[in-house]
Amino acid sequence: MPTVETRRVVVTGMGAISPLGVGAGALWNGLREGRSAIGPLRHKDSGALRVKIAAQVPESFDPASGIDERTLPLLDRTSEFALHAAREAIAQSGIDFASAGLGQRTAVVVGTGVGGELTQDEQSRRLYEEKATRTHPLTIVRLMTNASASQISIAYGLRGPAYAVASACASANHAIIQAAQMIRFGMVDAAVTGGTEACLSYGALRAWEAMRVLSDDTCRPFSANRRGLVLGEGAGIFVLESLEHAQARGATILAELAGTGMSADASDIVMPNADGAASAMRQALAEAGLNPEDVDYVNAHGTGTQANDSTETRAIRLAFGAHADRLAVSSTKSMHGHALGASGALELVAVVGALRDGVVPPTANLDQPDPACDLDYVPNVAREMKVRAALSNSFAFGGLNAVLALKHAP
Amino acid sequence: MPGTTQQQVFEIIAKQAKVDVANVIAKQAKVDVANVKPESTLKDLGIASLEAIELIFDIEEHFDIHFPEQQGANFDNDTAQSLVDAVQKALDEKAAS
Repeated sequence: MPTVETRRVVVTGMGAISPLGVGAGALWNGLREGRSAIGPLRHKDSGALRVKIAAQVPESFDPASGIDERTLPLLDRTSEFALHAAREAIAQSGIDFASAGLGQRTAVVVGTGVGGELTQDEQSRRLYEEKATRTHPLTIVRLMTNASASQISIAYGLRGPAYAVASACASANHAIIQAAQMIRFGMVDAAVTGGTEACLSYGALRAWEAMRVLSDDTCRPFSANRRGLVLGEGAGIFVLESLEHAQARGATILAELAGTGMSADASDIVMPNADGAASAMRQALAEAGLNPEDVDYVNAHGTGTQANDSTETRAIRLAFGAHADRLAVSSTKSMHGHALGASGALELVAVVGALRDGVVPPTANLDQPDPACDLDYVPNVAREMKVRAALSNSFAFGGLNAVLALKHAP
Repeated sequence: MPGTTQQQVFEIIAKQAKVDVANVIAKQAKVDVANVKPESTLKDLGIASLEAIELIFDIEEHFDIHFPEQQGANFDNDTAQSLVDAVQKALDEKAAS
């Protein structure tokens, strides 16, 4: 534990664009109803692709809605998602960044696995297929990994530290941890943070196909018949504040971000490692001042690959000991898919929902128990239960682990 | 090949496939091709995880075929013979289409 004086960090706003719809409410309602947004892939090259399914943001999402028309041409789909989710989160928090110079004391940290993948893919196609000799002049400002963080900073006049964090599938959690630590140690009073991803380009889909980790039926985390992950997309953005800042302005506190844990496996570039994952979970518990038995729910990384789900099960047992058998563990990726660098942010919406409503979202599509996955995964139907504290796991290719510990609002 | 039955053509391909698959495996495992026995698993040959996926890709490229999705949870426990059979099956399907 740090010896310097630290501050408590709370969540006061959240927003999401996800395969379950526009808004954090649409995402949470879908998850608690056990509704999967995985469906046939909508893509202009879908005839040629081997991957046939995905979890995509519905076509009803209108990127132009409420966005300044001079800003729109600057945006890749990742930034569109992020700006819409940020607007929702900031509106919910009721925070006024113009008041008393708060904008100067607010950070923006946004996680993304690859940034403007669709822009990159489209411009590459122009160059290599159409033999164009010029790319669109806004290519760079659209595709740069920090574009979402910069657009949020510009839109709301946020002049504190602002940058992107990239750690593949753990990007959102790493970003949220960075933002929380800045508040905890007094560098800023507030932060707008989360993750965004829009990665369903022809090139990226081909690359995922070649890795042979994509499921061809659906996402079945922890089920013996699981066949891999299902790609998703979207963004989740949150307003974090120090507890005293939130209380001073009379804000509604959604949850306390009580602890964080980060580790690297330093082993294989893709195969997960139970020790590394368990280490991050233990750190998150320790920083939050939680004993294993204080935790009721773990939102698992739960990708639906053979390797992740059995390894994560072992990691949870390592971190929680005997209490592992008393935990509710679920993977909401079975419903919103794997949004890579945004996934931790979509899952934080689920964790905040579970804490506030006393409902644990289920693991959908779990129909065949696997002896290697022997925890209580809340199969298929949500469970009403008191959730005092929860962990949210994200583990990335590259062996990078980032875990959040959440508690009830103080 | 005048006078050759379709069955004989497939047999010639099968023989060729066996040698080629063994060569591709030997190259990836950095072992002598003589050490690649039909019953050798990729794990026996020290090919695991991403290397196995890379090997499958090399075989696909070599024969211009596609292995079906999710042939197994991973390929580490596949034997050289099972890969030869899979190549054969894919080549047959290609010839039939």
